[in-house]
Amino acid sequence: MRAYRAKSLLWTWVRVAFLWAAVLVVLFPYTWVVLSSFKSPADLSNPTKLLFAPVPDNWERVFAGGITNNFALSLIVGLATVLITLLVGTPAAYAISHYAVGGRLTRFGILLAELIPPSVLVVPLFLVSYYLKVNGMVIPVIVAHLTFVLPVVTWFLISFFDDIPRDLEQAAMIDGCTRFQAFLKVVLPQVMPGLGAAAIFGFVLSWNDMFYALILGGETAKTLPVAIAGYNTFRGVQLGEMSVAILVSVLPTLILSFFIQRRMIRGIGGGGVKG
Amino acid sequence: MKKSVFRMLALVLSAALVLGACTRGGGGDGGAGSTDGTGQTETVTLKVIMEEVPDTDIVMGMLDEFNQAHPNIRLDIEALPYDQMRDKIVASFLAPRATYDLIVVDNPWMYDFASAGYLEPLDDRIQQAGDAYNYEDFAKPLRDIAEVDGKVYGIPFYNYALGLIYRTDLFEEQGLQAPKTLDELMDAARKLKSGDRAGIAMTPQRGYKVFEEWGNWLFAAGGAIQDEAGNIVLDSPQAREALTKYIQTYKEAAPANSLNWAFDEALRATAGGQAAMMLSYNWMLPTLNNPDGPAGELAGKFGLAEVPGGKAVLGAWFWSIPANSNNKDAAWTFVHWLTSPEQDKQRVIAGGAPVRDSVMDDPQVHEQGFGKDYYATVKEILKDASPLGDGPGAEEMIQAVGLELSAAVSGQKSVDQAIADAAKQAREIMSK
Amino acid sequence: MNDRSVDTAKRPFSRLFPYEWRMMTPLLAVMVIILAYPIVYSAWLSFRNVDLTRPGRDAFAGFDQYAAVLKQPLYWTALTNTFIFVAVAVTLELILGMALAVSLKKQKRFRNLTRAILLTPMFVTPIAVGLMFRFLLNNQLGLVPAILQKLGISIDFFSADLALLSLALIDVWQWTPFMMLMLLAGLENLPEEPHEAAYVDGANAWQTFIRVTVPMMKPIILVAVLIRALDALKVFEYVYAITRGGPGSATETLQFFVYKIGFGYYRLSEAAAVSWTVVILVMAVLVLSLWRTTRGRSA
Repeated sequence: MRAYRAKSLLWTWVRVAFLWAAVLVVLFPYTWVVLSSFKSPADLSNPTKLLFAPVPDNWERVFAGGITNNFALSLIVGLATVLITLLVGTPAAYAISHYAVGGRLTRFGILLAELIPPSVLVVPLFLVSYYLKVNGMVIPVIVAHLTFVLPVVTWFLISFFDDIPRDLEQAAMIDGCTRFQAFLKVVLPQVMPGLGAAAIFGFVLSWNDMFYALILGGETAKTLPVAIAGYNTFRGVQLGEMSVAILVSVLPTLILSFFIQRRMIRGIGGGGVKG
Repeated sequence: MKKSVFRMLALVLSAALVLGACTRGGGGDGGAGSTDGTGQTETVTLKVIMEEVPDTDIVMGMLDEFNQAHPNIRLDIEALPYDQMRDKIVASFLAPRATYDLIVVDNPWMYDFASAGYLEPLDDRIQQAGDAYNYEDFAKPLRDIAEVDGKVYGIPFYNYALGLIYRTDLFEEQGLQAPKTLDELMDAARKLKSGDRAGIAMTPQRGYKVFEEWGNWLFAAGGAIQDEAGNIVLDSPQAREALTKYIQTYKEAAPANSLNWAFDEALRATAGGQAAMMLSYNWMLPTLNNPDGPAGELAGKFGLAEVPGGKAVLGAWFWSIPANSNNKDAAWTFVHWLTSPEQDKQRVIAGGAPVRDSVMDDPQVHEQGFGKDYYATVKEILKDASPLGDGPGAEEMIQAVGLELSAAVSGQKSVDQAIADAAKQAREIMSK
Repeated sequence: MNDRSVDTAKRPFSRLFPYEWRMMTPLLAVMVIILAYPIVYSAWLSFRNVDLTRPGRDAFAGFDQYAAVLKQPLYWTALTNTFIFVAVAVTLELILGMALAVSLKKQKRFRNLTRAILLTPMFVTPIAVGLMFRFLLNNQLGLVPAILQKLGISIDFFSADLALLSLALIDVWQWTPFMMLMLLAGLENLPEEPHEAAYVDGANAWQTFIRVTVPMMKPIILVAVLIRALDALKVFEYVYAITRGGPGSATETLQFFVYKIGFGYYRLSEAAAVSWTVVILVMAVLVLSLWRTTRGRSA
């Protein structure tokens, strides 16, 4: 028995060490980027230098260079994508969850959209956007983002609606609501936390995309990831400024991520669990 | 017909100029001047796409002066990183209403863009500009790139021909001269390697970079990419010799683990004293010798020479007007102004890379710019420099050859195999 | 309000077009516009010859584009590289993700903090991840090679032999958290009884894990692996940020290959054809594996 306990104690130590090692591996690149963002060009050439005089130059240059514009564009694209997604996806997710519209086919069919690689969609979107004279604007980027945000967020929402008792709608209708009113006023408030989490997740997906934004967006739709990529051209790299740009793009999503982590577990696995 | 339209517009423009001058002289009666009843020349806004490079900044710095001469033409310049430019340009060509009224074109794109009918031929306008404009003054290899099937589609903006940048102090220490042949280059690279300093910083990154560098070795070995008629002649003993020597030098004298290095890494290594020389853009010399530049205290210890063999790989950017541009005449007005001998001189004095012989010979440029030696060397470099590809599919051909070269340097293919495959693909691409 | 009262259900319109379908309409309409139409358009393009720098050549081309694609050695290299990348990355993510999930489940102290930190990588934009590692592993500016050099080790993470593996490891850094998240969700929903039964039977922890936990987790493992594999197939940002497909063709992957053909050389039809071969291949693999699992279940 003592041997068993010693062994299990050893395992506990291994487990704890493993977890903290993983935490370090995750934190390591962030730390390096934060340090790099405050280094002068000379210090940047010396990667192992940990004690250095921090300079704000990189931050000043990046903000003077208009990264706030890119930030705003990313924000516009993300919010528009999420807004359309929720408007369109919420009623559908409810119908799929509570009325089993189209059976399992729709429930899982929604995810089929994820099978289509962006490389299939990007060419038609590129061509159509110039036929419609919207090339280089945010519109094609938003449409492209909808192609992957809409299915995933709807899939999340289905699982959140699954958790709502079916007779809630009936009860509301007995109180004199129409079905749609019952949906809006009684069912929807019940899923608000889930809706919020799904919306944030959808926003992060849109915020993080570079492929579509690179190809479909022009200067007027240059989102943050495209701007970051711009610091790495084959004519030269400004590592310090790039680090700042990376932090500007990453901080919001990291903060948002803390709010939705718990619900994401339900959302990701959920849509399929009940079906 | 076209000419008369042009003349009319020129008249209108000059009228606007005079009027503009009058309203300004008149003492501030309404700054928005030109929209009132009689003057009625509208302000044209040219949408321009350029690359995010110092040469673009220089042009931006000259806009105020341009607007003093042409107050009714405004420029809205969109500066993008290289990778993000071409999609936007092509999308604009296809759009019913062009996004860009004026564009810059990299030399490998010129043939494809021009032959697809996307660019406006400029011959008439150049002729109109007359002797004062002196088109023949642009270095001949640059003019050759801009000429597709007998017509001119671009005006040289700046060159990025390659030269050998080397540490004069280290060369002196070793009693070396700037290498004139490949063997001298290899010899120098070996001798200058010491401890943590590489003999030569190389750029074997797949694609454009490795080809741009190796192309100089190919020329130095006496090889060529295309013959006079444009046929691919890449599979030659000279090419195999050049690639063998290139790989040998990479292994013997380049920084360790630099297989993916490109321009930036090589520059950093050279600026930081970790490499004694590099083949790079000729205009990196002033940057390196600038005490406030990346080289810091090493500034002043760098020299520029022609690449071994004397024939360099030529790159250049051109001003072109899209065929679907909304404001061709205003666009030309700007290009004409900027590339005229006088303004081009100002541009080069401000640090721009030269394209005109007269500017490179100008004592005022020597004095206010980077010294006589520098411009003389650049002029020599430009005299017989040659682009990597000329003809259909040049961009793709360069990428394909660059892939094979990189495969050989990284040991995935033998030299013979890589050269044979490169030539085969280049032929296929350019005959498509 | 479309739906004035319950008795609308008696109207013929409502019967033909019931409430639940009306709720679906906006989604279906948007999906048709943004997905179905581009998909059909893309398929149509793949049978033509649209080349933006040679506008005069557009015509019906039958299967010419497909034939041309299949003849290119680089296409096959890209295909192989992509599948190696997916296999290496997803396998490592599964193993590490499972180990982390198991460890996290038993963890008592700093529970929320560790979880919060460990989940962050999946929220970082992939291009930033690519660039961070490009310079972290860069020989000139990177911390990792600098440290290794002091230990006397010299590795080029982006050499011909290692580049693809390095990219896969970057994917592991970013996406193991996702695997961990899903497996953790699965673990926390497992019933306790079978584990207790196994413990009573004298099985040690490892045996319990292999014989009890893993079989019960099979469905969620399958879903997690599937989602990750499909996503890893689309790898683009790391290649774009770091190697651009090189050295040679060591990291040429499908999505980058398509990007290069479509938006580097403007042969849109050829790019569409490449994409479709991938779709067909993935569908085939999926159907085959689903067919095998369902057959296995009924047998």
